Amino acid sequence: MVAFRNTDTSGRTTGLLLRCVLYSLLALGLIIVDKRYDHLGRIRRLLSVAVYPVQVAVASPFDGWNWFRDSVTTRDALRAEKTKLEAQLRVAQFRLQRYEALEAEIQRLRALRDSTEGITDRFVIGDVMDVDLDAFRARVLVDKGAGDGVYVGQTVLDSGGVFGQVARVGELSSEVILISDAAHAIPVQVNRTGLRTIAVGTGDMSRLKLPYLPTSADVIAGDLLVTSGLGGGFPAGYPVGTVAEVKRDPAQSLADVDVKPAAALDRSKELMFVWLKPQTAEALPKPAAPKPSAPKQAATKQ
Amino acid sequence: MMRDNRIRRLPMVLSALVALGLAVLPLPTVLEPLRPDFLVLVVFYWCVESPRAGGLGLAFVSGLALDLVQGVVLGQHALALTLMGAWATHLRLRIRVFSVLTQCLTIFALLTGYQFVLFWVDGATGNPVTAFSRWLSPFIGALLWPALVNAFGNVRGR
Repeated sequence: MVAFRNTDTSGRTTGLLLRCVLYSLLALGLIIVDKRYDHLGRIRRLLSVAVYPVQVAVASPFDGWNWFRDSVTTRDALRAEKTKLEAQLRVAQFRLQRYEALEAEIQRLRALRDSTEGITDRFVIGDVMDVDLDAFRARVLVDKGAGDGVYVGQTVLDSGGVFGQVARVGELSSEVILISDAAHAIPVQVNRTGLRTIAVGTGDMSRLKLPYLPTSADVIAGDLLVTSGLGGGFPAGYPVGTVAEVKRDPAQSLADVDVKPAAALDRSKELMFVWLKPQTAEALPKPAAPKPSAPKQAATKQ
Repeated sequence: MMRDNRIRRLPMVLSALVALGLAVLPLPTVLEPLRPDFLVLVVFYWCVESPRAGGLGLAFVSGLALDLVQGVVLGQHALALTLMGAWATHLRLRIRVFSVLTQCLTIFALLTGYQFVLFWVDGATGNPVTAFSRWLSPFIGALLWPALVNAFGNVRGR
């Protein structure tokens, strides 16, 4: 039998309607101020410190379990993992050999065409906390916040590619919105052809889509998509995903393109926050002054 | 009187904290939309059980906490929880004498109302979530209600 213990059943609670109206107006006011004006950022950051202990308390048993699992792994397993990591490191180092030279070359080339596409400056690694946010939005909580210099709109990567961007910053933690969130879009470029478009999230962590490509667009399954750097939000050239399927319905004017994200959106535990190098004119290596006009002169001579 | 109030508030705050923990507990992605609104059920319980201990204040503060942990617009859950908490308080004398089935149906109505306010604020602030699965959690919440009330009764009976 479902029974309540309190026997205080006297008629009215004083001023229920009044209190309800007051609290509701307060809540409505908060919604409007938070949505329309940006004044609540600081208050929100302070308040989020208040709920942070709850999130840490919930995440800690999972952290503890991971620690325990790590500490009881056998020597053989560790050796096997070490061998694997060494092999990966060798490959990575091999690929890195020419990186510095290539980066310098890219800087020079970009300076030639006065491009201001961001170049990454430094990384900070953050851990995804084991807590769930809203079930209907693809977001994760990461244990780096304003104290570490994280800012809203910052690009977040994992080892595979672009993971998302910072949606909200707290004092000690920040929320990252995944590229697969239904409300998220990222400017991309087909690596093979240079075709630029926008990849939109679907709400499904294993799928993005390209809704703005005409049926005649040159895109095939297997094409790599990289960030185009347009709009200034994301640095250019990071992998976003590969085209999984292209459906062309002749009756439609737009193709239906599915993309598989390059980042492990549902599995990554470690994320990289990226800071872009400030691209001021004096920071760039100056191209020789007469060079840009040279081709023009050649053209007029002909 | 003052002291009496304080004694009654401790289990209230503790149960709300535990429920908030359950609200952020990681679940597999498939199960996530099915997570019942534990904190909402706890707030309803206290609105029915002891409305004078400040059930509506608890509703508002719990709502704010939910807004913060879920990272939505500040005030959304606070508004929904205040409105439905007030309704639960209004209905409390009737809920007490209802049969279990009728209680569950009432709680289902309250939870659906709660989801509807969330849905409305989502839409009004330009982030509509139209997935059907968001309407599933009231079912599960209503099914949990008798168990929750009994559990509270047992713990407090000692």
